[in-house]
Amino acid sequence: MSKELIRLKNVSVAFEDAVILDNLNIYFNDKEFLTLLGPSGCGKTTTLRIIGGFLTPTSGDVLFDGVRINDVPPHKRQVNTVFQKYALFPHLNVFENVAFGLRIPKTDENGKKVKIPEKEITERVMEMLEVVNLKGFEKRSITSLSGGQQQRVAIARALVNRPKVLLLDEPLGALDMRLRKDMQNELKRIQQAMEITFIYVTHDQEEALAMSDTVVVMDGGKIQQIGTPEDIYNEPKNAFVADFIGESNILDGIMHEDYVVEFFNRKFKCLDKGFAPMEPVDVVIRPEDIDIVAPEKGQLRGTVTSVTFKGVHYDTIVDFKGYKWLIQTTDYHAEGSVIGIILNPDDIHIMKKSEYSGMFGDYSSYSEEYDEIGDASVELDEEESEDEE
Amino acid sequence: MKKTNRTGSRLIMALVFIFLYAPIFLLIIFSFNAGDSSAVWKGFSLSWYGSLFKNRIIMESVYTTLLVSILATIIATVAGTFAAIGLYSLSRRWRDPLLTVNNIPMMNADIVTGVGLCLFFAAFFRFWGSFAVWFNSIQEVITLPTRLHLGFTTLLLAHIAFNIPYVILNVAPKLRQMDKNLVDAAKDLGCTWFMAFRKVILPEIKPGIVSGALIAFTMSIDDFVISYFTAGSSTSTLAMTIYGMTKKRITPEINAISTLLFVVVLVLLVIVNVKEAQQEKKAKRPVAVIAAEEVRKADRAEFFKARPWIKRTVTAVIVCAIGLSIISLSRATYGQPVVNVCSWGEYIDPELITMFEEQTGIRVNYQTAESNEALYSLLKSGGGDYDVIVPSDYMVARLIEEDMLEELDYSNIPNFELIDRRFRNLSYDPENKYTVPYAWGTVGIIYNTSLVEDEVHDFSVLYDEKYAGDVLLINNSRDAIGIALKHLGYSMNTTNEDEIREAYQLLVDATEKGVYQGKVMDEIYQKMEGGNAAISTYYAGDYLTMLENNEDLAFVVPERGSNWFVDSMCILKDSPHKAEAEAWINFIASTEASLMNMDYIWYASPNSEALEQYPEYYYELYEEELDPEIYNIMVAPAETLERCELYVNLPADILALYKELWIQLGI
Repeated sequence: MSKELIRLKNVSVAFEDAVILDNLNIYFNDKEFLTLLGPSGCGKTTTLRIIGGFLTPTSGDVLFDGVRINDVPPHKRQVNTVFQKYALFPHLNVFENVAFGLRIPKTDENGKKVKIPEKEITERVMEMLEVVNLKGFEKRSITSLSGGQQQRVAIARALVNRPKVLLLDEPLGALDMRLRKDMQNELKRIQQAMEITFIYVTHDQEEALAMSDTVVVMDGGKIQQIGTPEDIYNEPKNAFVADFIGESNILDGIMHEDYVVEFFNRKFKCLDKGFAPMEPVDVVIRPEDIDIVAPEKGQLRGTVTSVTFKGVHYDTIVDFKGYKWLIQTTDYHAEGSVIGIILNPDDIHIMKKSEYSGMFGDYSSYSEEYDEIGDASVELDEEESEDEE
Repeated sequence: MKKTNRTGSRLIMALVFIFLYAPIFLLIIFSFNAGDSSAVWKGFSLSWYGSLFKNRIIMESVYTTLLVSILATIIATVAGTFAAIGLYSLSRRWRDPLLTVNNIPMMNADIVTGVGLCLFFAAFFRFWGSFAVWFNSIQEVITLPTRLHLGFTTLLLAHIAFNIPYVILNVAPKLRQMDKNLVDAAKDLGCTWFMAFRKVILPEIKPGIVSGALIAFTMSIDDFVISYFTAGSSTSTLAMTIYGMTKKRITPEINAISTLLFVVVLVLLVIVNVKEAQQEKKAKRPVAVIAAEEVRKADRAEFFKARPWIKRTVTAVIVCAIGLSIISLSRATYGQPVVNVCSWGEYIDPELITMFEEQTGIRVNYQTAESNEALYSLLKSGGGDYDVIVPSDYMVARLIEEDMLEELDYSNIPNFELIDRRFRNLSYDPENKYTVPYAWGTVGIIYNTSLVEDEVHDFSVLYDEKYAGDVLLINNSRDAIGIALKHLGYSMNTTNEDEIREAYQLLVDATEKGVYQGKVMDEIYQKMEGGNAAISTYYAGDYLTMLENNEDLAFVVPERGSNWFVDSMCILKDSPHKAEAEAWINFIASTEASLMNMDYIWYASPNSEALEQYPEYYYELYEEELDPEIYNIMVAPAETLERCELYVNLPADILALYKELWIQLGI
């Protein structure tokens, strides 16, 4: 499970003046499900294209099983890709799409072209169609399939070649919510059944947490954090990760000594240590970890300024001396009511100050923040596609 | 209120469509006319289609057109497709302006493209000429030709050039629609770029390529203007041949070939449109229907896949057919002795060309010029690599004067002995060193007896107020002023400026009185046959052709005299095919050829045997006596010729005066 398969060493990519990847170092283990997670333009797709061979890094090395493969063209790599929007061949039917890779003659060690016999092709294609639950669809054309079915064809088309690594570039982006959930399970099942490495690119943090063995959070062409989904969620390394993975209230704090942090002019017990005395830090408090109590029993007291019903819980914005927090609670507290909160030591997570400090985690303008994120990602999307041309 | 509006716009729509299609329907209907008029219906017949396929000149230009169109389409489609792919590999910043640049040649006037290409080729030929001279001078292994001509190659290049934008225009949208990741996906699955192109890009953009190719083919087939400027004088496309044939008059043969051309283009356009409509329809059908159909389609595909020989055989047959036809066409063009003839439209029995080719194995490349003057300027400009030309008397004199004709070796032309003495040693070639007469005739008055009550004896009717609006003035300064001179009793060849001005004044007065309906040449046929004009002046041979369609027409050579003419075959100086040219001249001068030609063109031959035998020949052919009156019109008797004058070549200043006066006359 932990054998290293691919390594990117000091990889950088720049288009004209724009730096897309900034000195990336990362390795991928055999048979793991690894997700590259980040907002549009963070460099995750570029990383995938480098592994796929569609892009040569400006500097740095790409190693596959310890061998440098920078100059190996895509068709000679033991890697297959499931593309954004699938990139299926519309002029071929389902069977022929899946068989496409098998029909390409391969060169063996002696430099001779080898063709896979038709019988074997049929067997392998049918087997793969069974894996992706598309038996009986062989003769259908691509255009008559639903989005989810097309997605499965794309996966089958890539997997039928028995690659060591499958690259998936936002493969579920075009599907609706329910279908996406089903496909997440499906993908995980396929990955385990085939026992190969999946490198998965997405900007959807829930998807990343649900499927991955390892999550790599990227931003600005740099890796922000690598870890298991639990690590990433519970122990974010900086404000960016904390904010990008789930909702977070991020406050300025001062570490007095090990296990003691001060914010809102009050000392709290926490589980973190190893900071310099009186070091300024970022304090992360997840909205769902906060317990609401009667005002007189709370460590802090605040006024509810807005309440939004979210189904399982209420998003409650509470004003503490001018700072607004997001609290997720199953109890309803009316707007204008005064509440108290209690923070247990394991509800508090301390992070070192970083370039992202002060940029995230303030809910003073709750709805507007959502809008900004939306706009920003659209802009970045366009830039990215333009650069790739 | 609304309703009337709608009726009004529908009426306009109906009129628009009638206006658009009526001419074409008329043309199609008259292509089935048993008679040879474009104005009078004489019953249904397919004879014009029959004679079309026997017409060597037409069939040859059909071959040329098909060959050029097919080759140009194939080359332009390949080049255009790769160019489009190249365009799409550029960033948007470059691609969009380049696509606009691609569109400009399509919107550009054909005439500009044509003249531009013509100039370009001329410039290249000059450059090539000096390069070849230099290259030949520095080594002796390879001898490059120093003189290049416009011809098939330039025609083909021009067609390729104007076809490429259409291919790009059709392929580009398909590339734009194509998912950019498709190529990456193919590479990812093991393809090299070229394999990805073949297996993915090509099938994806195929509809664009096919419609691009069809449009290119259509454009090629019916192009006239660009071909006209780039084909040179020895190659002729169908459109050019049709244009050449209309010089004289629109024969039902032209209607027939135009009908076929219309049908071919129509079929191509229908194919393009149906294909597009099918694609759109497919996009709108319910998924279940498509799915069922696809299963059937896949089954069918499997059937053929299991039997690869079917596809291979069909491909092989098509390739062989195309290959063989190209080879047979090119065999017809190359390696065979050839003679390039330039004559006038409708001035030969096409059967004669076939006969000559069968007898001698020499290929005849038969072209036509518009007029003596057009031929002269073509020769002067260095175009027209002809061997044999058939200019009229005065033009012969001019060409001899300018040393443009080759002396003939009459020992190779024994049939010259058959030429009547009357037509030898005429003023334009007094020692008869350069010419063998081809045909001769008189100019006279043609009038419609049902519209003109008086007996017509002389040219005065051309200047008479009584026939205001009914007279057609011949659109040629030499003839119009010459006839006026004759009417005034002067020589047609006078160099006396006062006499010429007096004759001119006659025309001006008549014009002011509104006598003339217009200045016409070949429209004379339609106008006179249809009874739209009452009086005109034209050639006797043409009158006889008109008479077949309108029995009311009469012809008279005025008592005060008129013009007579002799068209003679000559060989151009330095002709590379002199022996073949002399063989052709000898053949045409033979009695058999002269008889056939006389019967076909209704112009008199100079062959004395033929002149004598014609009435008998006519009787055998049609089983009826030839009206002696008609014979006398075709073969003007000696007393008529005595009243008439041949044109001589006028001095330059007099020619300039003619030109100036003619422009002043207007009309």
